[in-house]
Amino acid sequence: MSGEAANPALPFSRLLTDASEATTLYRELRKPLLRYLVCLGLSSDEAQDVVQDTFLSLHRHLTSGGSQENIRGWVYRVAHNQARNRQNRYDRHFREPMDSEINATLDEATPESAVLEKEKYQQLGKAMRLLTPPERECLLLRSAGLRYREIGEVMGIATSTVSDTVDRAVRKLAEKCNV
Amino acid sequence: MCEYSNKLISLLDHELPAEEAVKVELHLESCNECRGQISVFAKVSREVDAYCNEAITVNARRVAPAWASSAIAAGVVTAVIVLFLAWPRARVKPSTMQLPPVATANSLGVAGSSVSGSVPSIHRNNMRHAGAVESRIVPVQNNNSSSAQRIVTYDSQEEPMIQIAIPADEIFPPGAIPEGVNFLADLTIAADGTAEGMRLRPMLAGFERRTTRP
Repeated sequence: MSGEAANPALPFSRLLTDASEATTLYRELRKPLLRYLVCLGLSSDEAQDVVQDTFLSLHRHLTSGGSQENIRGWVYRVAHNQARNRQNRYDRHFREPMDSEINATLDEATPESAVLEKEKYQQLGKAMRLLTPPERECLLLRSAGLRYREIGEVMGIATSTVSDTVDRAVRKLAEKCNV
Repeated sequence: MCEYSNKLISLLDHELPAEEAVKVELHLESCNECRGQISVFAKVSREVDAYCNEAITVNARRVAPAWASSAIAAGVVTAVIVLFLAWPRARVKPSTMQLPPVATANSLGVAGSSVSGSVPSIHRNNMRHAGAVESRIVPVQNNNSSSAQRIVTYDSQEEPMIQIAIPADEIFPPGAIPEGVNFLADLTIAADGTAEGMRLRPMLAGFERRTTRP
């Protein structure tokens, strides 16, 4: 996996002995989960709401003796479904990747690096919009540090399908961004 | 296309079985095409990570200004107004102070006649940028005072005593305050020159051109 989020040292595989482990998971997963939801198209407030609801569900799940296997995948699946429910409830599509906001931030950098970074992110944002929703979601979950098996559980697809989808998405980005 | 090409991203993600991963790694040593491809895929992956990190950072920043800019604006404008009130009193010369009767009792809510004569001139100096809020201060010369002293009176008894307009762009960096938003301060000055009451409220240029007394 790529990126800082892909940290295999995180103690996700250990068995959770009681509900207090949810607090540890919250500290470890909150930021990458927020990152995933925001990249998925939720606003910051919406993403915060979904994260809170997700960990409330996790607490209930653990205290009621629910399965503790692959709890990270479980958390992402619940958050993913809640994000989808919000999309359906408000009858809208997830908004586009955040080109304009990133432009605003990059203006603060030095002129040369700002221009280069802005162009790079604009190009990447456009390329990501050209991906199909499953390709984009697989890529974002991969970037969040999830294994293919976990991504498959979150999205309800086979691991082999995840592998193919990620492969296709990365190739598309490489082609569109002229890397 | 090389037969190992479709395994490169899985290798990058450590998703290949151990035996297969060894095969692909051995192949990479002898295949320039695959080595070039896997470096491209690694770079794309890093850029996607950076893009997502930037997105959440920006999103977090974007939330704060919605309330912070208004709060900061209110705080700074309040501080400026307090300075307006405090500064002239340090240089008051009560013996030369006079206020026309019309301004003293009825329209202004000022109980006494001792008001700093420097207040009007200071306010007038700061009225030059008051574009959004129309000034209704009409300075006049008082025949009973020296020519250097200016007394403020008003064209209507229904209007407030002093109106100060401080454009946000004079205080904050450009863009910190949404365009068209101004803050209006209603002040009541007591007989001894102290601020008896102050009400600070935001207003939208073009929608509210006049103020009413509280």
